[in-house]
Amino acid sequence: MNITEFLKVFEDVAIFEDKIILKRNLIETVIYLRDNFGYNVLKEITAVENDDTSVELNYHLYSSTDDEDLVLSINVSNETESLSHIFDSASADENEIYDMFGIHFIGNEDLKRLYMAEGWVGHPLRKEYQDDDERLDWND
Amino acid sequence: MTELKLNLGPQHPSTHGVLRLILELEGEKILSCEPDIGYLHRGMEKMAEKLSYIQYLPTVDRIDYLAGFFYSELFCRTVEKALEIELSDRVRAIRVMMLELNRIASHLLWTGAFLMDLGAVSPFFYAFREREMILKYFEKITGQRMMNNYFVFGGVRRDVFDLDDVDEFLKILTPKLKDYENLITENPIFLQRTKGKGVLEPELALNNSITGPNLRASGVGIDFRKNDSLYCGFYHEPVVLKGKDAWARYKARIEEMRMSGCIVRQALEYLRKDEPLKQKLVNPLKMRLPAGEFLSEIEAPRGLARCYIKSIGEDKPYRLKWRTGSYYAVNLLKKLLKGAYLNDAIAIAGSLDIILPEVDK
Amino acid sequence: MNYLYHLYIEFLAKHGIPQFWGDITFYIIPLSIIFCALLVIVLALVLAERKLLGFFTQRKGPNRVGLWGILQTIADAFKLLCKENITPKGVNVFLFNLAPALIFVPVMVVLGLIPYSAEFTFMDFRTNILIYVVFAGFPLLCILLGGWASNNKYSLIGAIRNTAQVLAYELPIAFTVLSIIALSSSMNLREITLAQSSSAGIFGWFWVPCILGLIIMFISMLAELNRCPFDLPEAESELICGYNTEYSGMRFAMFYLSEYGMLFANALFIAILFFGGYLSPFGKYLSPMIFPETVGGIMIYFEQVCWLLLKSFLIIFVVIWVRATLPRMASFDLLKFSWTVLLPISIFNFLLMVIIKYTGGIYA
Repeated sequence: MNITEFLKVFEDVAIFEDKIILKRNLIETVIYLRDNFGYNVLKEITAVENDDTSVELNYHLYSSTDDEDLVLSINVSNETESLSHIFDSASADENEIYDMFGIHFIGNEDLKRLYMAEGWVGHPLRKEYQDDDERLDWND
Repeated sequence: MTELKLNLGPQHPSTHGVLRLILELEGEKILSCEPDIGYLHRGMEKMAEKLSYIQYLPTVDRIDYLAGFFYSELFCRTVEKALEIELSDRVRAIRVMMLELNRIASHLLWTGAFLMDLGAVSPFFYAFREREMILKYFEKITGQRMMNNYFVFGGVRRDVFDLDDVDEFLKILTPKLKDYENLITENPIFLQRTKGKGVLEPELALNNSITGPNLRASGVGIDFRKNDSLYCGFYHEPVVLKGKDAWARYKARIEEMRMSGCIVRQALEYLRKDEPLKQKLVNPLKMRLPAGEFLSEIEAPRGLARCYIKSIGEDKPYRLKWRTGSYYAVNLLKKLLKGAYLNDAIAIAGSLDIILPEVDK
Repeated sequence: MNYLYHLYIEFLAKHGIPQFWGDITFYIIPLSIIFCALLVIVLALVLAERKLLGFFTQRKGPNRVGLWGILQTIADAFKLLCKENITPKGVNVFLFNLAPALIFVPVMVVLGLIPYSAEFTFMDFRTNILIYVVFAGFPLLCILLGGWASNNKYSLIGAIRNTAQVLAYELPIAFTVLSIIALSSSMNLREITLAQSSSAGIFGWFWVPCILGLIIMFISMLAELNRCPFDLPEAESELICGYNTEYSGMRFAMFYLSEYGMLFANALFIAILFFGGYLSPFGKYLSPMIFPETVGGIMIYFEQVCWLLLKSFLIIFVVIWVRATLPRMASFDLLKFSWTVLLPISIFNFLLMVIIKYTGGIYA
C-alpha cells in the first residue's frame, strides 16, 4: 500500500515499526482503507495492557485481493467506538476484549461476557487482577 | 404459531464439544440463534504470562487437540522468528510431514463425525481405522498418539525413522478415499441433506474473517501455505470449489486430504535421502526473547491460526494471544442458521468444522 | 390347528370336563406358544442387530455376556427391569401407563394371523390380510398416546412427526397389498402362499411379476417401523429420544422390544406375500428324504416353519444392512418421497398386476 497517499488524507498518525498508530478517527480510517485500498478482512483485534493501565488495541487488516497485511494501533482507556457495523467478526473480538480487559465498545449492542460466568466481577487479563473470587475456594 | 425457545444443549450425542446454541423456533423454522461458549475456558492466555517459554510449550498442543502439531509449530515459529533461528531443510521436511499427516487425521475425524450427525454409523468407524495408522506412527516417533510435544525451538526432539510405515499408509489412503467417495459423495440421501444448505457467500465469509476449507469451498482461493517459508518446495495449489454449501465444504476437505497425501509423499522422498539431522536448539534455561512484538501465522485444518507474543526481555512472555479459526465460525452461526429448518441446523453446524477447545482458549 | 383342538378336547374329556370349557379356554395354548416364541425371537433379534452392526463397522459387537454374547439381551432386559419406573409430574397417569401396555397387542395379534405351515395357522379367517393391515398401523395409536401423555414438548413433536410419517406410508402398502390380492385372487394369507406354488419353483413366487411392489413394500416397511433411513422421530439429536423421552425402566423396554416384534412380523409378511411363505424353493420338501416314513409326514410341517423363518431372517439381514449404510432422511423429504414417488408407482403396479393376471401365464 502506498503509505504516502494514505498519510496525505489522514494527519496525526505515526508509523512505528510497521504499525500505524492512530489517535482518533478509527472508523473513518478503516472505511477509507476498505474502500480505497481493498482491506476487506479483519483478521483479529489484539489488546495489550500498557504500564499506565491503558490498553493498546491492534487491528490487523488484510486485503484478500492483494495478499497484504496492515496493523492499526490505538490506545484506549475505558471505552471506544465499535467496528461491528463494518466487520461482523469485530463483534466476536470485542466481546472477548470486553470480557478480559473491561473496555466498553460503544455501538456494539451484543456486548456480553463470553468466557466468564454471568455476574463475574473483574477482568481477568488485566495485570492487577487478583484471583480472589470466593467461588474458587471450594477445594480448601 | 407461538415461539419456542430450544436449547441445543452443551451435551451433544456427537463430537461437537460443549457448544450451547439457544435457538428461537417458530414451528420448524429457526428465527434466531445465539451461541453460548465458555464451557471449556482454561485461561491459556493468562497462564502463559506466568510460565516460561519452555514450560508453556507442552500446553500449546492442547489448544486444538486434533491439530496439536499445528499450534506447536506456530508457537515455535514465533519464538524462532524472535530469536532469528533458521531451520535446516531436513527439519523443515520432518515438520511438513508431521503437519500434513496431522491434517489428514483431523479431516478424517471430521468426516466420521459429520456423517454420524446425519445418521450414518459406518463411516465413523472406517475413518478411525485409517486414523489409527497415523496415530500408531506418531506414537512410534514421538511417544504419544495426540498432544505429542515433538517440536522444540530450533528443531525437533529426535529424528524420524521407520519411514516405510508412512509409505504403507499412503498406499492405502488413495483407494480408501475413493471408497468414501463412492459411499457418500453421490448418495441421494446425503445430497438431499447437504446440497443447498448453509450457503456461505464469499463476501459474508470475508466479512466474518472465515478462512480455511470453509472459505475455499465458497470460491475464494486464499491459502496461507502459499507464502509460508516452511512449505517452500512442498506445496502447489489451493483446492477451490464453487459450491458454497455444506456439500462443497465436505468435498473441499476430501480433496484437501488428497493434496496432503501428495505433500507427505514429497516430504517422504526428501527424508529418504538420510542426511544427518543438523539443528540449532536453544538452551531453554538461558532463553530470553528480545523486547518487542512478534507475530506469525499458519494454515491450520480449521482456518488461519496466529500467535502474537509481546516480550519485555524476560524469560516469560508479557502478553500472548491466539487467534483461532473456529472462533469466527461460531460467530458466523448467528447469521447462517437464521431462516434454516431445525433438521438442517445440525448439518450446517457440523459442516463448519467447529472444535470447542479452539473457541474457548 | 384342528389336530391340536381335538387332542385338547379328548384330554379334557378324560378328566370329565365338558367340551364347553374346552372351547373357551383352548386359545390359551396357541397364545402361550406365540408368546414364548416371540420372546425368544425378539431376544435373538436385538442381539443379531448389534452383532451385525458390529460386523459392518469392523467391530466385534457384544461378546462378553455368555458365549459369543448370547445372553446380552437377557442382561439388558434384566437391567431394565431393575430400574426405577419414573412417572413425571403432570402426566396423564392412565394414558401414560396404557401406552406401553397396549403396544404388544398388535404384535401378538399379527403373529397369530401368519400361516407358519399348512397345519399351524392360528387364526384362519377368509380375510386375514385385511386384519393384518389394520393391526400393522396400530402401534401408531400407542405412540401418539405415549407422546401426548408425557407432558413434554419434545415427545409431542416426535409423536406428531411419527404420525405424519406412518400415515404417509400406509397408502403405498395398501396398494401393494391390493396388487398381491389381484394376483392370487384371495385375501387369505394361506391361500396366497399356496397360489405361489407352481412348476417354476422360485420364479413362480410373486417377487418376479411384482418386483416394483417388493421394493415399495420394503421401503414402506422401514418407514412404518421407524428404522433407518426413516428414523427421524427417534434419533434426532435435539429431540433426545422422541416419544420415548419420558419412559424409563420396564415401560421403555416394552416400546423397545415391541419395535423388534413388529420388525419380525413385517418380515414374515413380506416373506409370505412375495417369497412363497412356507414353500420350499426346491419344489419338494426335504424331510421325506431324511426321516423315515412314519415321522416324515409330520416333519414336513416343521420344515415348512423353518423355510418361512429362513426367508424372514434374510429380509431382516437386509434391513440391518440398510441401517448400517445409509444416513437419515429429513422429514419433509420423507413425506414428499412417499406422496409424489411411491404412491403413483404403487398404483401403476396394481394396474400392471391386474393385466398380468388376466393375460394368463403361470401367475393366472
